[in-house]
Amino acid sequence: MNFIYRLIGLTMLITLLIPVSFSIADDEKAREIMNKVDNRDDGDNQTSDMIMTLIDKNNKKRIRKISVFSKDKGEDNLRLMFFIHPADVKDTSFLTWDYDDPDKDDDQWLYLPALKKTKRIASSDKSDSFMGSDLNYSDMTSRNLEDYDFFLKKDIQVRGKDAWVIEAVPRSREVIDETGYTKSLLIVQKDNYYVVRAVNWEKTGGYTKYMDVVTLEQIDGIWVGTEMHVAKKKGRQTVHKTILKFDNVKFNQGLEEDQFTVRRMEKGL
Amino acid sequence: MNNIRNRIEHQFEAFARKIYHHRFKTVFLMLIAIGGLLSQLPTIVIDASTEAFLHKTDPALLTYNDFRDQFGRDEMIIVALKPKQVFDFNFLNTLKKLHTELEENVPYLDDITSLINARNTLGEKDLLIVEDLLEDWPETEKQLQTIKQRAMSNPMYENMLISKDGSSTTIIIRTQSRSSMSPENEIMAGFENFDDAIETPTGTERKYLTDEENTEVIQAVEKIVEKYRSPDLPIYLAGSPAVVHFLKEAMMSDMMKFMLLAVLTVSILLYIMFRRITGVVLPMLIVILSLLSTISLMAITGIPIKVPTEILPSFILAVGVGSSVHILAIFFHRLRKTNNKEESIVYTLGHSGLAVMMTNLTTAAGLMSFANASVAPVAEIGIFASAGILLAFIYTIVLLPPLIAIIPLSSKKTESLRKGNRIMDKVLENIGRFSTTHPRKILFVSFCIIAIAFTGIFSIRFSHFPLKWLPETNAIRVATEKIDKALNGSMSMEILFKTNRENGLYEPELLNRIETAAVDFEKMSNKEMFIGKAWSVTTILKEINQALNENSPAAYTIPQNEPMVAQEFLLFENSGSDDLEDFVDSQFSMARLTLKVPFVDGILYDPLEEEITTYLNKNFPDVDFQITGLVALLAKTFNNTITSMAESYLIALVIITLMMILLIGRIRIGLLSMIPNLVPIILMLGVIGWFGFPMDLFTMMVASIAIGLAVDDTIHFMHNFRRYYEQSGDPKKAVLDTLHSTGRAMLVTSVVLSFGFFIYMFASMQNIIRFGFLTGFTIIMALASDYLIAPALMVLVNKTTMPAQRSEI
Repeated sequence: MNFIYRLIGLTMLITLLIPVSFSIADDEKAREIMNKVDNRDDGDNQTSDMIMTLIDKNNKKRIRKISVFSKDKGEDNLRLMFFIHPADVKDTSFLTWDYDDPDKDDDQWLYLPALKKTKRIASSDKSDSFMGSDLNYSDMTSRNLEDYDFFLKKDIQVRGKDAWVIEAVPRSREVIDETGYTKSLLIVQKDNYYVVRAVNWEKTGGYTKYMDVVTLEQIDGIWVGTEMHVAKKKGRQTVHKTILKFDNVKFNQGLEEDQFTVRRMEKGL
Repeated sequence: MNNIRNRIEHQFEAFARKIYHHRFKTVFLMLIAIGGLLSQLPTIVIDASTEAFLHKTDPALLTYNDFRDQFGRDEMIIVALKPKQVFDFNFLNTLKKLHTELEENVPYLDDITSLINARNTLGEKDLLIVEDLLEDWPETEKQLQTIKQRAMSNPMYENMLISKDGSSTTIIIRTQSRSSMSPENEIMAGFENFDDAIETPTGTERKYLTDEENTEVIQAVEKIVEKYRSPDLPIYLAGSPAVVHFLKEAMMSDMMKFMLLAVLTVSILLYIMFRRITGVVLPMLIVILSLLSTISLMAITGIPIKVPTEILPSFILAVGVGSSVHILAIFFHRLRKTNNKEESIVYTLGHSGLAVMMTNLTTAAGLMSFANASVAPVAEIGIFASAGILLAFIYTIVLLPPLIAIIPLSSKKTESLRKGNRIMDKVLENIGRFSTTHPRKILFVSFCIIAIAFTGIFSIRFSHFPLKWLPETNAIRVATEKIDKALNGSMSMEILFKTNRENGLYEPELLNRIETAAVDFEKMSNKEMFIGKAWSVTTILKEINQALNENSPAAYTIPQNEPMVAQEFLLFENSGSDDLEDFVDSQFSMARLTLKVPFVDGILYDPLEEEITTYLNKNFPDVDFQITGLVALLAKTFNNTITSMAESYLIALVIITLMMILLIGRIRIGLLSMIPNLVPIILMLGVIGWFGFPMDLFTMMVASIAIGLAVDDTIHFMHNFRRYYEQSGDPKKAVLDTLHSTGRAMLVTSVVLSFGFFIYMFASMQNIIRFGFLTGFTIIMALASDYLIAPALMVLVNKTTMPAQRSEI
């Protein structure tokens, strides 16, 4: 029995390796698509209300409501979040300075009202979970295209729209360690270059993560995924799920850089 | 009764005649049937895991499964290194290389922790750092000393990652609890069913890491560790996954080796007894076919071979050889007299067919009483040993006679055989005379011996200590003992606190109680059993609280207000560590308290568990709690085993008694015949008690073989005694006649089998050595009691009744 599994596994591995070994460099078409994804306008000076629903394997739900402000600063991204719910962590706030420079670690501060203290969190790892959800920090930031080989696998339809399936393979061990993924499949909707679905293979534990943008809306001319489902799976079994919903998404809210400071976050909403 | 018996014997004769006439057809059909059965043999699976001891629906196992689903596998593989200096640049480099190599090459890895990546939480001004201890590699002696100081002062590292004296350090490996197919297999498949993939309901499929996968893990670890091991750097590999693996290997190799040696010994002795190749080949053929068929049956029903079921081959060897030797002994004897094969075969089946059937049915029925045992492998032994015996019986009655008919045999007696037979006859004659002339003396002496043995039974101590089965120099035993000593234990016990409400763990009052419990548990100890370390989510909370308060050791405490607890958890969740999920569920409703314990005798865990339960009942009346983990499972297994075995043996004895009464047709004689059945078992128990052997699963299994063989001997004796007594009306003559006919076969089987089992005494594993000795001893005692006590009883009992009346019954 086990031998057969191994045999099947080996055969599949070989069949998978054949196309790879014939095309060691990635394909241009795929890279061109990914460039367009990267250059798509994702708006600026954005405010929204995020509702994060965490569902564990016993189907128990945990809901967090967070008010989000974000602003671009050159290629960097500034983000300020205030917890609204649950009551225990109300007014806890979270400030992130996300640098484009891959050599520079992001800066993050957390303000704890119960302690009346702000702490900067030193974290070099983007593979850590984002607020206990199934997304990690690398999911929240855009990919550095130079870190990957891209391969166009096929054309499919998602919810009636044409899309490409692109495989992204990290070029180095460092990228794998940083993102926590050994590889990804990205489904890019053709008409707006939005990644509407993705599958990521985790480095440890044998998990796969399925992401699905369930609702895609155009707000002020900018495509925004306002509802997203993420399922963390092992084999065929879902071990954890996250549902992210964004309400009141607004762009160009005239946010100032000095709103993204520790002082501002300690003041509360 | 007599009539029925005669009728059955005639039927056996008619059956033998039919088979003789259709001998080729019969052999052909039998071989096809057996071939079909054996084709399933390759699908047999081996499972040496501890979980395998419990039935799939056992509540203890279900609790454990729930635990594993939530927190992953609790068992850890411990790689302990004892360098000259732990905090030394060279050594730390080696450690890092080893750590990385293990991380990259060990399959099914879930988590690997060592000083390299140990969680290091600290505050620096406004900065909270949660990082790997050796995130920034030390360059100078001063940096090295800082790291040393940090590592030695972290209460969480003590005895986990570094021994209290700082001389040993470990790499702790945890594997996934579930086995999963390689993600590569499903790369596109998972994607094409994206909607299904994201919508599939949770918690349906349950498949845990298999024994085979565990073996892969240990082999990978051992292979890598071996490269780093040197006289300057001893490395020990322990932890229950490793123990299970090496135990299985040792068991398998010993069992295989000595099973073959036993077969060889039995073959040689059979040749000496029969002086014919056929006298060796035929019984062995029957035994091997029965054995392989039995294992095929296990394969077909999907029951894996487990540690205790490894005794099945020995069992079937013992019982199978007995049956075919009885048939062959009578047959050869008759063939020499008549020189007529057909007549000899018919005579043999008429003479012994019923006895062989009764011995096999009785043993099978006795063993079936194990089928309801709460310990899964014991139940399986009950089922498959019975099935094996019945198969052996069918092969003996249906396959053996036509094979004898087909194979050319000489009816001549060789000189040496004749001489041997004369000696044997003389011995049997003397035994018969002695037992019939001094019945009272025999019974008195026997009674005294039994009484002495009986007192020994009270000093039997139960035990389940697989580690001690291994020789003292065995690497895993040495490693486990060293680690248990240096690091306060290599196993873990788990307590789950369930508040049943979201964020129940934000309450400082509850956290305080869990914290106190951990401290109190660390003080508990009982004989060699102790709790080396207890830790829970409070450890993380204390760490973070300390880091938030300028690393002050005084702040290594639980914050005493609810929002503060909640916010510190939130801070930790966002600080780059996933470690919280090892301690609580995502709802913060359930907390895990892990207790580190040494690998000691299974019997010692249970009192500790009771002590813990009492403590928890008293201090956590408002919280649901469960004690689980592999160790708890082990304790539970062991307790199940004792009660379950005791029950099974009682039922077996009742069933066998009833069958004896049925066979003999009289209640009083039936009950009396239980005496020679019980004597060898009491003597065996006496030896166990007096010699101080541990009464473990293996020792208990000896009794099942003992019962099987003792009962066989007694049935053969009683069956023939009654036949000859009815013919002559003289109990003394009947005893002598019995000894000369069946007694010969009993002697042959007992000698052959006892040596076959004594050979196990040369094994390396203690449990197998004891098993061989006890089984061989019991076989000889069974023979002795049927040669001495049974005749003595029969002579005494039958004296008072008139021979004339007998035949009327």
